[in-house]
Amino acid sequence: MSSQEKAPEGDLPETHGVDYDALEELLGDRVIRRESHLNAEGFVIRPDEVAGALDLLRNDAGFDHLSMVTAQDYEDRYESIYHLTKYDDRTQEVSVIVPTDLENPTSESAASVYKTAEWHEREAYDLVGIDYENHPDLRRILLPETWQGHPLSSDYDQDKPQVVTLEEHVNPVAESQEDPDSDTMFLNIGPHHPATHGVLHVKTVLDGEQVADVEPDIGYLHRCEEQMCQQGTYRHQIMPYPDRWDYSSAGLLNEWAYARVAEDLNDIEVPEYAQIIRTMSAELCRIAAHMLAVGTFCLDIYGDFTAIFMYAMRDREKTQNILEDLTGQRMMFNYFRLGGVVWDLPEPRDEFFEKIRDFMDDLPGTLEEYHDLITGNEIFQKRTIGTGVIDAETAKQYGCTGPVARASGIDYDLRRDDPYGYYDELDWDVVTEDGCDNFARLLVRMREVEESAKIIKQCVDLLEDWPEDERNIQSNVPRTLKPDADTEVYRAVEGAKGELGIYVRSDGTDKPGRFKIRSPCFNNLHSLEAMAEGEYVPDLVAALGSLDVILGEVDR
Amino acid sequence: MFVPLQSDPVLLPETIGRVLFGGEIAIWQEAVAGFIAAFVIANVMLANAGVAGPWAKRKITAAFTDRIAVDRVGPAGLLIIPAAAVQLMAKELIIPDGADRPAYDIAPILLALSALIGFAVIPMGSIFGINLQMADPETGLAYVFAVASIATLALTMGGYASNNKYSLMGGLRAIAQNIAYEIPLIVTAASVVIFTGTLQTSEIVAQQAEPLVTIAGITIPSWFAFVNPFAFVLFMVANLAEVGRNPFDIPEAPTEIVAGYMTEYSSIYFVLFYMGEFIHIFLGGAIVTTVFLGGPAGPILPGFVWFLVKIWAVFLFTQWARSAVPRVRIDQLIEIGWKGMLVLSFANLVLTAVIVGVML
Amino acid sequence: MIGVLKSMATTLKHALDGSTFTVEYPDVAPEVSPRFRGVHKFSQERCIWCRQCENVCPNDTIQIVQDDQRNGEQYNLHIGQCVYCRLCEEVCPVDAIILTENFEFTADTKDDFVYNKEQLKNVPWYKDMDPLESREPDRSAWVGEGEGEVDYQ
Repeated sequence: MSSQEKAPEGDLPETHGVDYDALEELLGDRVIRRESHLNAEGFVIRPDEVAGALDLLRNDAGFDHLSMVTAQDYEDRYESIYHLTKYDDRTQEVSVIVPTDLENPTSESAASVYKTAEWHEREAYDLVGIDYENHPDLRRILLPETWQGHPLSSDYDQDKPQVVTLEEHVNPVAESQEDPDSDTMFLNIGPHHPATHGVLHVKTVLDGEQVADVEPDIGYLHRCEEQMCQQGTYRHQIMPYPDRWDYSSAGLLNEWAYARVAEDLNDIEVPEYAQIIRTMSAELCRIAAHMLAVGTFCLDIYGDFTAIFMYAMRDREKTQNILEDLTGQRMMFNYFRLGGVVWDLPEPRDEFFEKIRDFMDDLPGTLEEYHDLITGNEIFQKRTIGTGVIDAETAKQYGCTGPVARASGIDYDLRRDDPYGYYDELDWDVVTEDGCDNFARLLVRMREVEESAKIIKQCVDLLEDWPEDERNIQSNVPRTLKPDADTEVYRAVEGAKGELGIYVRSDGTDKPGRFKIRSPCFNNLHSLEAMAEGEYVPDLVAALGSLDVILGEVDR
Repeated sequence: MFVPLQSDPVLLPETIGRVLFGGEIAIWQEAVAGFIAAFVIANVMLANAGVAGPWAKRKITAAFTDRIAVDRVGPAGLLIIPAAAVQLMAKELIIPDGADRPAYDIAPILLALSALIGFAVIPMGSIFGINLQMADPETGLAYVFAVASIATLALTMGGYASNNKYSLMGGLRAIAQNIAYEIPLIVTAASVVIFTGTLQTSEIVAQQAEPLVTIAGITIPSWFAFVNPFAFVLFMVANLAEVGRNPFDIPEAPTEIVAGYMTEYSSIYFVLFYMGEFIHIFLGGAIVTTVFLGGPAGPILPGFVWFLVKIWAVFLFTQWARSAVPRVRIDQLIEIGWKGMLVLSFANLVLTAVIVGVML
Repeated sequence: MIGVLKSMATTLKHALDGSTFTVEYPDVAPEVSPRFRGVHKFSQERCIWCRQCENVCPNDTIQIVQDDQRNGEQYNLHIGQCVYCRLCEEVCPVDAIILTENFEFTADTKDDFVYNKEQLKNVPWYKDMDPLESREPDRSAWVGEGEGEVDYQ
């Protein structure tokens, strides 16, 4: 389950081999004091020394993965937390906490050290209102440019209407981009475009058919998911929402992200039997999500009326049927509970196992057919191999995770590197490809489906033999959970698109004080600019498809 | 005006003229007859391409993708097409600001027209003893390629006049693609002309009727698809590009440039564009049939039925390719066109010329 | 070229075997799992007005009005706003509210989706499926006290 389970009793979190004293020494007088979060130690850093401190941690201590930036406000200060970890060893974590005062919330930007901080800090500026010095392009990212105030900051007046005069609110599409001396053409791809898989607006500058510059403009699907979670109780009310972040059937994977963080925060144990059910159902979700990814990616390559899309949808449908039997819904499962799952397997169990086994038996043949249909097709290869290339180093800079990172040869999978659930007891492999291109990303997804099938088969065997009187699906969890005030924890799981992390700070009530979601799609989408520049328009579209972003998760 | 160069068989306008006016036919009577004949042929082809085509396309695509497709309105869902036509025509015609008006309006009409008038010289065989060919000039093949390539002009006009960047890209892609593929298309057709020694379509068809070989009592006719399969494959590929279907549907390229040159067209203009495309696919099929598949020739059934069977087979092939073959990228398309198809088609032409010169 | 032909052979195989996986809804009513969560059904006879469901509902879909003696007067549920998480059913100590398998409902306006207790009572079962049986088999023992009949109607 969690590291909590294995951690020795007491207040000190497990260090996972990180020598925090040495790190403190490395950072020297930049450190104001140390804090302790449940997942890692944190160093409070002076706001004018952020880049220097992060640079040391990145280059000298090897923390090459900026997982997330959390911004929040307290009564007396604003705070940005940089959650750092390593691609080589996910269990080694450190938090860098940067406090700024309320009147003049300015701290140094980390964008020069980690490329991914660029978007994270824009989001922090947008929602919380912290000003980042030396940031290359500090603009709003989720809310419209004309928005007044910063909604997650405590001095924000929710009741004040957002009155924007017509002059201020000019249509961004109508904005004249004409330049008689220029050889380039500005093109809005989206917000309504067949290939954006949601409501995404990509501002593109074209040189002929080639992409000279690309800038994703997100926020069209911003649904205040973080705020909604902050207003729900830990015990019940938050769990229905993760299903709606990445809504491509990956619901259970998202639920697990919340379950993991909340169980760590409240020190809840999960019975082994429930862990196996969780593992099995989550992998079914992964298959469904990857099927959708394969189908829509091919839709972008083939154009409509292609067969592969429907075949992929058909196979996704099969997993959805199984999940419906298990959870009662096809997409918005709400199946996990803190301390377990809500239902045991459906009766009759044999029939249910049979159904899964049938699907598993068909799967190799289906994938074989996919390979015949798409990956073996020379024209398809010509289209996808060598396009949308992102090398490992750049991918790390952008904070890419999941299939996108693994297709660039980064051997990084939280299921193995930061084990949770039942994964470390099972026999499976992390899939990586060295192609770094669109084709590699597709292959990774298709091969991951095979690995998921392997995991599911083992889970089914385990569940079938499980003694009847030990089928404990939920541990005893109190109806109201009130973790100690100011407990902070950041935990991540391997979602369908990559590292899906959640940071929670408790404020002593039964609702979170701050709930921050690290969306893998958000980071992956940022890397589009690295992939698409210099490519042709069709390859920009293909690269976007291969990233497999779900805009609901990007904008939250 | 409609004096046939070949007296037998009698062409359709003349048949109609004789029925209407009998005996000697004056010029104006001939014109009336010609008009009626054109009306008949155009309507048959419109019904074939515009009504049956979209319905069949939906059914065929559904079969490839394991779906059911239309089956509610009318028998087997056939009436969905009139229903859709009414629905589309009832829609508001939205013309974008800054559209280049005459060009914007002419483009859809031109596209449908260019495809329709191509059928004038296609020998469609006979039914009930009436020969359905409209005209049979000596330059038939040249004529049909000439009018078919007017379509490119329509696409470019539509793309340019729409005042939309996606449309413009679609229009420009259409020119690039059509230039790159029309040359191989015509050069390949020229290799057939070397065999036949004439551009007259009826003559080309007639020459394919002769037996090629006889195996076990079954006579294989000397269709040029059998005589020169290499040219046939080249022609089919170039034809896919010419009619803009996968893997060469890049002037439209939904999911990339929205709908290309069609992006800004709605209502009846959209219907014209859409139907024009379908008629174009069928005209492509008709050319393939005439040049490579022996025209309306076939046993037992009337020639016209065989003609329809053959053009539908070509249509089926385009839909089949669409279900399984990805779209190529614009630069790859141009590369395939100029470096691959063009070279191959000229090689084919030279080879055919040498063979014909030496052997015949 | 072989790959292209292989792809085309694959789709042709699908075209020729004639099988389809889509269904003709609504002519063919889809099978739903016994656990499926659809529109709510409410029993006034059972409800003890403890307001647990109102309390647990994540997005304030349930509204309960009581008089000053805490007797229930109104039970309103906005089925258009509901996220079908089933938490209300889960916390209900007397199974007064359950989610049927019925997923077919329409209305002309958003407001029509606010069901009062009468409307909630009259929500039909889907194919006569009783969700309680499949969801919590061991519970039915005491839920169905009396003759074991479902008394939602």
